[in-house]
Amino acid sequence: MSLAAEAFVSQIAAAEPWPENATLYQPLKDDQILLSDCASSLAVQTYLRMCGLPVQVACKANAEYMSPSGKVPFVHVGNHVVSELGPIVQFTKAKGHSLSDGLDDVQRAEMKAYMELVHNMLLTAELYVQWCDDSTATEISRPRYSSPYSWPLNHILAYQKQWDVRRKMKAIGWGGKTLEQVYEDVSQCCQALSQRLGTQPYFFNKHPTELDALVFGHLFTILTTQLTSSELAERIRRCSNLLAFCKHIEHTYFKDKST
Amino acid sequence: MGAVHARSLDPLPMRGPELGVHADDVDAPDVEQDPKQEVLENKNVVVQKVHIDGLGKTKEDCLTYEIAEVFRAKDLIDVMKRSHEARQRLLRLGIFRKVEVVIDTSQGVDALPNGLDVTFEVTELRRMTGSYNTMVGNNEGSMVLGLKLPNTFGRAEKLTFQFSYGTKETSYGLSFFKPQAGNFERNVSVNLYKVTGQFPWSSLRETDRGISTEISFPVWKTNHTLKWEGVWRELGCLARTASFAVREESGHSLKSSLSHAMVIDTRNSSILPRKGGLLKVHQELAGYTGGDARFLKEDFEIQLNRSLFWDSVLSASLWGGLLLPIGDQPTSIADRFYLGGPTSVRGFSMYSMGPQSKGDYLGGEAYCAGGLHLYTPLPFRPGKGGFGDLFRTHFFLNAGNLCNLNYGEGPQAHLKKLAECIRWSYGAGILLRLGNIARLELNYCIPMGVQSGDKICDGVQFGAGIRFL
Repeated sequence: MSLAAEAFVSQIAAAEPWPENATLYQPLKDDQILLSDCASSLAVQTYLRMCGLPVQVACKANAEYMSPSGKVPFVHVGNHVVSELGPIVQFTKAKGHSLSDGLDDVQRAEMKAYMELVHNMLLTAELYVQWCDDSTATEISRPRYSSPYSWPLNHILAYQKQWDVRRKMKAIGWGGKTLEQVYEDVSQCCQALSQRLGTQPYFFNKHPTELDALVFGHLFTILTTQLTSSELAERIRRCSNLLAFCKHIEHTYFKDKST
Repeated sequence: MGAVHARSLDPLPMRGPELGVHADDVDAPDVEQDPKQEVLENKNVVVQKVHIDGLGKTKEDCLTYEIAEVFRAKDLIDVMKRSHEARQRLLRLGIFRKVEVVIDTSQGVDALPNGLDVTFEVTELRRMTGSYNTMVGNNEGSMVLGLKLPNTFGRAEKLTFQFSYGTKETSYGLSFFKPQAGNFERNVSVNLYKVTGQFPWSSLRETDRGISTEISFPVWKTNHTLKWEGVWRELGCLARTASFAVREESGHSLKSSLSHAMVIDTRNSSILPRKGGLLKVHQELAGYTGGDARFLKEDFEIQLNRSLFWDSVLSASLWGGLLLPIGDQPTSIADRFYLGGPTSVRGFSMYSMGPQSKGDYLGGEAYCAGGLHLYTPLPFRPGKGGFGDLFRTHFFLNAGNLCNLNYGEGPQAHLKKLAECIRWSYGAGILLRLGNIARLELNYCIPMGVQSGDKICDGVQFGAGIRFL
């Protein structure tokens, strides 16, 4: 799409109100979805709940391929299809829903920096554990990822995905890391978040922002997901204020749902 | 003794039912003023030896079937006829560039007085041939490398490999073909391929990686093909603006299908025939041998041609098809039928009729289409007997419909649904025949019975293809 067309679309998007039938697409919840996708999906759902925007969750085996960017989750709102948290935040902003309007420029920059930290550390660590740790990949990731497909396509797609992620890890310099080093990175990331949070209810005091949605999505998913080893969750549990933060958000935004 | 040469009589024969030998085609032997000539012609002769000269890698055992008939000849005319027949059979194998026949009286110690020796002088094709093409079209350029090994193992097997590297897509195909010795129509082939197609009418991109094996064999006047195909299909949107209905079909699927095709073709040519008919019935069952696509697909094609006055030909054709999903899974956009365009129902844009979502055509589970053509030579017949014969004018009437069926309703309701909202068109145009495989058309079309959502091409429409309604 050309820039002009994109600008035009965002103009249109602004004109239309948020519809009732907005749908969020993610992989099959019980058999297929993996930790990283589940975390990203929960982050988007939390963000939309914080904005007060209703969304239905649809589980599709081919959600990853339906997404325009090849990443889940994505939302289908009216005639628009938007994937991943960043673009979805931009999209809701165009429609007049924003959580970060109350922040000044310094805080906004700080928020972006912490969001980057979560992307670069937590999300990457999740991907590393899923696909680069052999026992997790063999016992959990590959069987789950390929569960909707029949033989021999299931093996082809699972190994193709694993190979893609490992290549990406090599490209960003995580290829040579050991599992212990990755856990250590997660610990450091959690400590940084824990320090920033302090005793506040949200990262920027009284009001939730997209950073809160993102952190909650990842931490809550790691804490509640059974992996081959519980080490990842253990590292998070060491920061007690993050645990309280997760409980608080769960209670505030998901109390009607038993997630 | 007068040696009789039957030199390259015909070009390589095309595939078709009329492969039989025409005795008239055989050159009359050069009648030399030899007193023994007359005697030989009337006397019974015995073919004592048949030689094949010039064989390199070809194994003799598979050729003996092709030339066996020559030994059964009773007189000289018969010998020539059968030798010519054998020559045609040898050429059909596609492993010789040239075959010449020499008939001579037998020589040597055990030669009978009425014995004849027949010698086939053959020139084999090269062990390997290659080709290189560059193609430009549709916002894409590609280079195509081809490699062919005729006669791979010496028994008329053929191994072909084609690789196309484009600015957008890469595709390849590897195929191995093996005929049964002495029965060329019975053959087995194995194919391995990757093809990528872009279908702008559906905003769809499809990448297929597959393997297929097929067996072809003739039964009486029909030709049958049994095929198993396993394809890994990857569907995706061609653009971000693709409709959500197409987006929902994105992703991977595996189709494993058994199919059977039967063809009766009595036409004198597959492009612009003057007489004869074609019946093609194809059925495909997917899902019972694995894979996640499950359906039964039936389709047929009928064409009848009749020569009329002044070299004009009347041609009628009828196509139809039905796709039945098995189980509760809906059919895939990649399996459904599409209709419309310059090669089917003219006057409509390419595959742009029937069920659609926001301008993306989704195809239908049932279709039928019919066409009536009157082909005539060009008015005033310019270039008659030469270039002008490649052209024809035609008047046409096309009709067709494409829809989805609700299988709870029963066959009566299906026929009714196919019969209502029929799209049709009429017009006239000029067509050009390209070799014996393709034709180009330039038509003026008037579409009728247009339904909402159909994309029409009112006026001049250009078409190129190998299969026409």
